Amino acid sequence: MDGSNEIASYLIVLLFLASFLMNFTDIPQRIQMQRFSSFVRKRLYALEELEADTRRKAIAYMSSVGIKEPSKVLEGFIDNFFLIRPVDIEPTDIIKRLKHLIRVREGSVRDYVRTVLSEADRSIQYSVESVLEVVSALRLLNKLIRHYLELGLKYNNWILVMQLAMQIPEVVEVAKAYAGSIDAFSSGIPIGDSVGPLVAKMLVGWGEPTRELSEGTDLYEVEIDKRKVYVIKASGPGSNVGWPGEALERLVREYDGEIERIITVDAALKLESEESGEVAYGAGAAIGDPGPEKIAMERVASEHSIPLDAVVVKMSEAEALSPLSKKIYEGALRAYDTVLKIIREKVREGGTVVVIGVGNTVGVR
Amino acid sequence: MVALQLDSLLVALMIAALLLLLTAVLPWILSVASSKSRVVKEELVEVVKCLKCDYESVRKYEKGDYVGKVVGSCPNDKGSLVVKAIYVERYTQTK
Ligand SMILES: [Zn+2]
Repeated sequence: MDGSNEIASYLIVLLFLASFLMNFTDIPQRIQMQRFSSFVRKRLYALEELEADTRRKAIAYMSSVGIKEPSKVLEGFIDNFFLIRPVDIEPTDIIKRLKHLIRVREGSVRDYVRTVLSEADRSIQYSVESVLEVVSALRLLNKLIRHYLELGLKYNNWILVMQLAMQIPEVVEVAKAYAGSIDAFSSGIPIGDSVGPLVAKMLVGWGEPTRELSEGTDLYEVEIDKRKVYVIKASGPGSNVGWPGEALERLVREYDGEIERIITVDAALKLESEESGEVAYGAGAAIGDPGPEKIAMERVASEHSIPLDAVVVKMSEAEALSPLSKKIYEGALRAYDTVLKIIREKVREGGTVVVIGVGNTVGVR
Repeated sequence: MVALQLDSLLVALMIAALLLLLTAVLPWILSVASSKSRVVKEELVEVVKCLKCDYESVRKYEKGDYVGKVVGSCPNDKGSLVVKAIYVERYTQTK
């Protein structure tokens, strides 16, 4: 009878039909899965572009330090040198086993790089290792994301695809930080994780090490306000973290536990609400290794009842891998003051204290 | 009278459609409205410090430098200048 009447009833029928489809079928989830998978795929392409870019940079760096056939060296590294974690349902000497496996892997990586890089100094060798590890990490990340995406699409697992879409922006941030770190490693610029070695270097007044405590880990001896200070840090300026736990163990054994305090300085992951470069202190070993180095510190400290202090500079994961920012540099200055304060207040005059600058010493001699 | 009532039903449908559209676009509008300060320039700088006096200055990073490297002598007392730190200086601009 009326035109608008008819249109309205059509619309109402359509509305009911649509609401039925939306509520009682899987169609919306399927549509969403398509949307989310294309969202993931776009970011995955960006990540693969990033990986290709990092590869190019790695190859350019390797040929600049005199490696012949750098792309072959890179291909030979990626996908190899994995580490199978030791059995953990039988925890007896798990740390010993893990430590052994880590050293074995490290040793074979070192040999691999050494064969292609015959006559170069150690700091270049360490940097080449790090560059290879970065490319390899990016490759693994991209393979994992592609794996979950394809698995989700294959079995129509829309929850998996959506989860991936929810998490991928965070993954992209970390991947960008990894890719950025390759510039720092190849040109020898300190990264956020280098705050520990940076503070250690400030404490020793930029002097030269006394001797090497364990492979790639140096000992410095200085006197600060009539206190004997032993400073341990990885030997730079190549990309290197050293073996700080093992080094501390040896030092304390050498002095038969005659040490009043151990202070560890490291970068720590901040919470989103925290400011980058904030400094905090507490008890314990500030180190983020898979276990062996940290436990070595804890064991030797508790064995001789030496108080173990931790001073940390807070930063995001991306900042830890990117070249040092001004905020984090200022944090390092504050951490230096905090360490000095601990030495003055908690170590008596004439006493001995060990300070460990934990972290990657790239760009810090 | 009847026609008028149905017209208002149509109008209601239109309004509902408009509101739906608005909720879909709202996050985008909000993200555009709250524009953060963005980095316009990044520069690598290094802090050099005299080992004898308190002289300290910030200058442009030179390739090959690292923390702990001696890079010259102090303008005040000819003590050796050492690189204290290398960091990225970011110049930001608020839109
Ligand atoms: Zn001077």
